[in-house]
Amino acid sequence: MSASGIEAHGLAKAYGKVRALEALDLAVPPGVVLGFLGPNGAGKTTAIRMLTTVLKPDAGTFTVAGIPHTKPLQIRQRVGVLPESAGYPERQSGEEFLRYHARLFGHTRESARETARSLLAETGLAERAGSAIGGYSRGMRQRLGIARALVNEPAVVFLDEPTLGLDPAGQRQMLELVRRIAETRGATAVISTHLLGEVEEVCGRVVILNRGRIVADGTVAEIVSRAAAPRRVRISVPLESTPQAIEALNERGIEAAPNTRPGEVEVTLSADGTERAIREALRVVLDAEVPVLGLELEGGRLSDAFLSVTEPA
Amino acid sequence: MTTVALSPPRRAWLIVFRQELRDLWLGGRALGLLFAFSLLLSAITYLTATNSLLNFLEQRESVNLTLQVAVAVGALLVLLTAADALSGERERGTLESLLLAPVQRVDLVAGKGLAALSVWAAAFVVSIPYVWFVARGVGIVGAALVGGFVVGGLLALFLAGLGLLISSLSGSNRVSLSVSVFVLLALFAPTQLPAGAQQGWAGDLFIRIDPFSSSLHYLGKVVVDGHSAGQDASWLLSPFIAASASILLALGASRFVTLRGGGS
Repeated sequence: MSASGIEAHGLAKAYGKVRALEALDLAVPPGVVLGFLGPNGAGKTTAIRMLTTVLKPDAGTFTVAGIPHTKPLQIRQRVGVLPESAGYPERQSGEEFLRYHARLFGHTRESARETARSLLAETGLAERAGSAIGGYSRGMRQRLGIARALVNEPAVVFLDEPTLGLDPAGQRQMLELVRRIAETRGATAVISTHLLGEVEEVCGRVVILNRGRIVADGTVAEIVSRAAAPRRVRISVPLESTPQAIEALNERGIEAAPNTRPGEVEVTLSADGTERAIREALRVVLDAEVPVLGLELEGGRLSDAFLSVTEPA
Repeated sequence: MTTVALSPPRRAWLIVFRQELRDLWLGGRALGLLFAFSLLLSAITYLTATNSLLNFLEQRESVNLTLQVAVAVGALLVLLTAADALSGERERGTLESLLLAPVQRVDLVAGKGLAALSVWAAAFVVSIPYVWFVARGVGIVGAALVGGFVVGGLLALFLAGLGLLISSLSGSNRVSLSVSVFVLLALFAPTQLPAGAQQGWAGDLFIRIDPFSSSLHYLGKVVVDGHSAGQDASWLLSPFIAASASILLALGASRFVTLRGGGS
């Protein structure tokens, strides 16, 4: 493992009788944007808090940015964190808040001011730099939290639910910001989120946790293929041709049923997801002289894989 | 942005202290407490001055009463501020950001404790004109102020440590403030004992052990009886020990400054 990634062995934590995390083994190379996924209570926040030295693990060892867990101050010096549901001092201004934290990370007075202003500009908060945080919207607070996570030029950034409570536009802006930060700064980034579609776009690697254990680890494509999520194919045909298409498919032993959607009718096929099955279904419809208006593959997405590996047995 | 090789700050407690001072004083919380303190002191001074004029109260007794109220309430303000210092951050969700900074937790506690003590310093400054007003003419202004500063300082240190200790261990601000005030009332209780219970070696010991009773007794000796500052210094032993112990305990308990309180 290079000196700027994350490596964890047998990390475990329990709260009383509840085991939040069981023997987490993780190796994240430097520069990777890791999607840290899992249902509520899976242990994501606990894992992040342990890796950022806020919580002590009950068992296990880890290194972050090449620094062993026995040196928590040094680890904190090299990581940037947006905590889940972070609170902010309502009466401080955004700039004052960032200056204070920059000072706590060892900036001089001047460099703290410069860093604060630069980060406020980078996160789109420059115009509200002098306003009290109490007047910030949820999205602005999240952006301020990200700015705080960057005051120390971190080698590893942990973002715990950066899109929590944001509307779709805010979520999009936040993920855009995360993507930009990862690209321009080259830091290892760990993003815990429930927005699986965006994880597919932003993250080069994904880890899925369930009940304190890693249940999937790899690229999005690897996880999806391993999880073997059930697929469906929707073939759009003209409304009047629907019975004809369904009859033709059923005659060939392909299960098909109408699937209503305003303005068009679809034929839903239960298929095994292979290209061959899809080609066969298309050929049958075309042989029946039914025009094909469109074709859409359902399944084969991270969300399907996520549900498949995190569903209770 | 300037890229600089950063290392943890050497005097993190000073950074925390300065920010806490700003939050306390510019944020208005300490100013509110100080305003209430000055109103109370105004009322007490008015009552003692009028009683003194009507010869219901000897002037030295008036000075002592005013000073005791200033010292006790000033120290109470320190307790309230210190009790909110960590549990308040925990409750407002701002503690995690502080814990993520590369500073020792003892620095956080020390910086917050010093900021809480600033409330005592301000309260003492506010009480100076009141003490001067009731003490003028009997030549005890200086002795009263020095005695009040020493006694109040020790009690403020004691209560700052106590408040920080409770705040470190409390999961919520409500618990922290409730426990702190309860402990304070328990410490004040011996001062309300009837005179009979304060007689004899047992009564003497009881008063000497309790830092509040002992401190206020010392003030009485200096202000009312006109003793020199060093003559009854043994009465300051208990508040001195209490102040030292509570500060050491608060700094030692800084390892319990966690997100949940009480350590995890």
